[in-house]
Amino acid sequence: MPRPSGAAWRRGGGRVAQYALVLLVAVSLNFAIPRLAPGTPIDYLVPSEQVATITPEQRERVLAQFGLEKPLLEQYRLYLTGILRGDLGISAQQGRPVVDMLLERLPWTLVLVGGAITLATVIGGGAGFLSAARRGGRTEAWGLALFMFLDSMPPFWIGLLLLVFFSGYLDLLPVFGALPTSGAAGGFGLTLEFAQRLVLPLATLTMVRAGWLFLVARSSLAGELSEDYILMAEAKGLSRRQVVLGHGIRNALLPLVTAVAVEVGTVVGGATVVETVFSYPGLGRLIYESVLSRDYAVLQGAFLLLAVGVILANLLADLLYPIIDPRVRAETAR
Amino acid sequence: MGRVGAAILLLFVVAAIFAPILAPHDPALRTAQPFAAPSFAHPLGANDVGQDILSELIFASRLSLTVGFVTTCLATILGAAVGIVGGYLRGAVDAVLMRGVDVILSLPFLPLMIVLAAFLGQNTTNLILVIGLLIWARPARLIRSQVLSVRESGHVQAARAMGATHGYIMFRHVLPRVTPLVAAQFVRTANVSIMLEASLAFLGLSDPFQKSWGAILFYANARSAFLADAWLWWVLPPGLCIAAVVVSFAFLGYALEERVDPRLRSSTPASEPSGDPGTPMPVREDTLR
Repeated sequence: MPRPSGAAWRRGGGRVAQYALVLLVAVSLNFAIPRLAPGTPIDYLVPSEQVATITPEQRERVLAQFGLEKPLLEQYRLYLTGILRGDLGISAQQGRPVVDMLLERLPWTLVLVGGAITLATVIGGGAGFLSAARRGGRTEAWGLALFMFLDSMPPFWIGLLLLVFFSGYLDLLPVFGALPTSGAAGGFGLTLEFAQRLVLPLATLTMVRAGWLFLVARSSLAGELSEDYILMAEAKGLSRRQVVLGHGIRNALLPLVTAVAVEVGTVVGGATVVETVFSYPGLGRLIYESVLSRDYAVLQGAFLLLAVGVILANLLADLLYPIIDPRVRAETAR
Repeated sequence: MGRVGAAILLLFVVAAIFAPILAPHDPALRTAQPFAAPSFAHPLGANDVGQDILSELIFASRLSLTVGFVTTCLATILGAAVGIVGGYLRGAVDAVLMRGVDVILSLPFLPLMIVLAAFLGQNTTNLILVIGLLIWARPARLIRSQVLSVRESGHVQAARAMGATHGYIMFRHVLPRVTPLVAAQFVRTANVSIMLEASLAFLGLSDPFQKSWGAILFYANARSAFLADAWLWWVLPPGLCIAAVVVSFAFLGYALEERVDPRLRSSTPASEPSGDPGTPMPVREDTLR
């Protein structure tokens, strides 16, 4: 039998190659979409209100500026090298480099998405494990119904309702953006303001995602607990606690990690609509603004950045599997 | 559980079909004061231009359900075809198809759909294409893994030994065996596509001349309906409709899978390194929202 570490390396290498392929597809899609979409490239490069009034000379100039009169392959090469240099084009509306606009918004989204994934995993996964360990109770049945229902509600709608309730009726939390617009206190005061504005978007996204992780954790642990080795562990005289924590959950963890990794893309999508509801200045809100103002370069840049993030998250999860679960190590070594 | 789901769904379908009879007003006309509170004539009040919200809601169910149904059909047919062909033929065809599935599953769906919908232009056909062409990958992968075991079963091998063509075997022998799974996947996919349509419409990417439930919420949000009491009759009902339809699909799917499950689960080769247990509550592998 070859050494597991070698096999793990090979497995990791395969994964990296696969995700590199995904990345290439995402990049190429971005290149192809404006060229395949109805209309001329001009429609997507100048601010929408100027499209109707543009003169032929201006048109030529725009085409030359973006290298659109060159052969397609040459355009593609220029596009790829541009991306490698961190050039994602210029916003038609604001005239600023798209990269700058994206990087400005990225930290807000990272905080929101990272926080929501962590909370949803802890709450959803924890409740799911608990529910599987105590199957058959009345509370447990209600918990299942609750999380199934949570899983079925549109994220933006939950956001709207929380907004109505907590800031409209109770007037507890400020909601607009991520920071106060005027008279900001420095240091701690600012952090507090931010935290207050983060509560509702974070709660919304967590609620939406926790439902699914609950279902995964529950079914995964329930499956493990019906296996023979659990019976064996109980026969050895281990306490229920030791059996569930040391044997059941250890094995039930892998599907949960898979689910969390798959979730990243979904949470990012959810963040898009939730940020819109709360005017939270992240990438999702930027996407919404760009849809409204027809700022195509920004839209494409945002999609690319999100795709890279999701791919990296998936890759990380793949590389984590062998550490979490020895069975994966054995499997790849075979 | 399945019956409850079917009943809720039937209710919405009936409402959609008989919308002109059921709706008290024409949702396109101004029949009340803008932002009117609920009254006897207008049970859910009126929106910012004075259109009756209840009628709007009833007519919107047509668009929401149609988009959901058509995208789901598209995605299920595509997913079943790819899954059956890949799983049955194996080899290079399978490898290429599954690589494609992997690629699609690794992309963030909603942002990609937003980009596509923005470029293609806002009409219902484009919306259907954008959703339908991206959500078939999950069913394809699940169906393929079952086909892998079906192709080794006795009657398929017998048909092959007797010289039946691949096309004939796939259609007459493999398809019937995976039909229950395809049905379950249909329900799951419907669930996902209703939610996606609502999200895209909420972001203002649906046809501006046709309103779905998501689009009603887009207008409510754009007019800040949640700041006034109007949220109670303008924001709450469309969301409840979406949630009810999605829950009903989830119930249906749950019931269907229970019925199909036992044999299916045990004969599915584990494609992922989890020891796939005979789960009492099937893991939902396809939330693509």
